[in-house]
Parts: sequence; structure tokens; C-alpha cells
Amino acid sequence: MTVGNGLSGSKTVESIVALGFSHVVMIPDAETRVLFDELVARPEMQLISPAREGEGVAIAAGLWVGGARPLLILQNTGMMEAGDTIRGCGLGPKIPLRMLVGWRGYPGAMAGRLPIDSAFTYTEPILRAWGIPYRLMMEEGDLDALAEIDRIAAETSMPAAAVFGWTFRP
Amino acid sequence: MIERLDLLRALADRRTDEIVVMTMTATLQWPVVSQHDLDFDFLAFGMGHAADFGLGLALSRPERKTIVLKGDGGLLMNLGSLATIGRFGPPNLVVLLLENRIYEMTGGQGLPTGVDFEALARASGIHNGGSQGTGKVERCETLDDFAAELPRLLTESGPHFVVLPVTNSHTLPPVNHSDHAGRVVKLRRALGVERAESQR
Repeated sequence: MTVGNGLSGSKTVESIVALGFSHVVMIPDAETRVLFDELVARPEMQLISPAREGEGVAIAAGLWVGGARPLLILQNTGMMEAGDTIRGCGLGPKIPLRMLVGWRGYPGAMAGRLPIDSAFTYTEPILRAWGIPYRLMMEEGDLDALAEIDRIAAETSMPAAAVFGWTFRP
Repeated sequence: MIERLDLLRALADRRTDEIVVMTMTATLQWPVVSQHDLDFDFLAFGMGHAADFGLGLALSRPERKTIVLKGDGGLLMNLGSLATIGRFGPPNLVVLLLENRIYEMTGGQGLPTGVDFEALARASGIHNGGSQGTGKVERCETLDDFAAELPRLLTESGPHFVVLPVTNSHTLPPVNHSDHAGRVVKLRRALGVERAESQR
């Protein structure tokens, strides 16, 4: 079982920039608002905020097909909503979507608080069912997960995900 | 009402190096009038998301127009995308909404009545919007209108959202379930980007 204590938004954004992503497609949520604010201020990439995650997946797919390097940032709930688009714009056509997925419900589950958020319960089973390789990003030492999923996506030409469980710190 | 195949033919005749993304019944008729390396059949990539995919393409390929042919039923599945185009739509995106008021692909079931797609697009900030504030929302009632506006749509800064009332009197060709990954590789090759990712 992994617990960790979360990551710095600044360091995470530095990693995103270092990996050369051209666009970040994300809808802010409570866990990523620090990350969102950091990304808005970075001139190296364009931040696109769609109205819903399925829309964001299709935008990211179009960006990649056109030769850009998009990163999708979405909460697990949004990932579940976007299921058909992840299938149709990622898994089926072998588009290597790089996804940073927020694991809503993780802190509560780690603390043993009841009831367990069903968003926590189904996150890993859904990723496994879709065959999407994923790495956990629970503390500063896990930042390499971003580079790893970038490499996996490039090598397999399939989606890959880094999953974080805690609210990003400033 | 515009006969859809005539509309598609008018577009194909004028089109040069633009990317054309089409979905649902337009995918069945577009190959009748066009066989181009920059054609992209979005069917089965995600219902209601063709314009989103086109938005991503347009953002990544600013040197050419991306034209999206999509239906009104698909738009109802993803109305929020209008607001995204209103905010982020680049000047080189053209969305042609084929308004037939039915779910044609599934047998012609009616859409909710009274929906004004032009008004929805305007209310979503596309007109005078998009990333450069040059967006336009328009409606063409006849084929002649569309043919007259087409040269402007292919050159003027947008994004453009054009509502086109269409009908179809032709027998539709069968659905083509060609290899989805192959469609992606074909378009990326045509755009000259296929090797870039594999070389990373």
C-alpha cells in the first residue's frame, strides 16, 4: 500500500515543461487547482480547458495526430466519464495519450474513513480493465513517473497514466 | 434544404490542402466526392466529439484550415464543446453543422424540436470569439449560398461555425469499419508528422 504526502505543484509543472509537452488539456478540480494556476502562468505550453473530460480527450487526440505533444490532466471521475472517448480516441486507434489522473477518494481511503468513495474503489480496476499502464505519484520521489509514462506511451503508441492521490501543494 | 451530397461535392471541388474531418452519415458520402490524404473519417472515434478532435488538429496545424463535417444530433451530445470553441477555437477551424433534425444513422428518429443551433453557437461565444476574436456564426439556406460563401470560409480567419440545413435523397453506401489506427497513421503521414513520435 502506498500512502505518501503529495507533490509540489511547482516541481510537477517543471517536470511537465522539461518533458516538452506543447499543450495541457485539463479541467481544474480541488486537487489540481495549484497545478492549474502554475500552468496558466507558463508560456512554454498552451493550457486548454474543455467543458468536459470526454471533450478534452478528443482535443488531445487531435493535437497529437497533428504533431503536438499534449498532456491530459483529469480527475478519476472525469476519466470514467470520458471512457468512450478514451476507447475511441486512444485505445482503438493507438493514440498515445499521456494522462495525469487524480485519484479522488485516496486520502480518505488511506485514513480509513467510511464510507469509501466509489471513485476511489473503481479507479485502478478501470485502468486495468482498459489495459492502460499506470504509475503512482504519491510523493516528490515519484515525479519520475511522468517521464516513465511518456516513454511507455511513445514505445507502445497506447495511452499511459500517472495517478496522483493528494492535493498538489504550492 | 440542401441536398447533402451536392453540398459535399461543392466543398470537395473547392478544397485544396485543408484537413477534412467527417463523422456519421457524412463519412458514408464524403468518399463518393473525395479521396484525399487529408480526409479523416472520425466514425467510431467517439460520438459527438468530431469537432473537438478537429479543434485539436487545428491548434496543432495552424498553417492550414481544418474543416469538420458533423451532425446536429452529435452536437447535442456535446453542447459544451461550443463554449470551448468560443474560447479556444483558432482562426483556422471551420465547423460545418449538417442540420437534418434526425438521428439519420440509426434510422431517422427525430431530434428534440425547437433547438436553434445557430443561437446556441452565438450564445456560446463563437461569434466574435475564438482565440483571436474573429469567430463567425453563420447559416446558409441554399446550395448557392454555401457555394458563394465557401471561398471566404476557406480563407478568412475564424473559427467559423456554419449551420447548413440538409436532406438526403440518395441511398447511403454501407458503413466502412476500416482500421482506426490506420486512419491515424495515414493522416499523420500526410501531415509529415508520423515519424516524429517514433523517433523520440
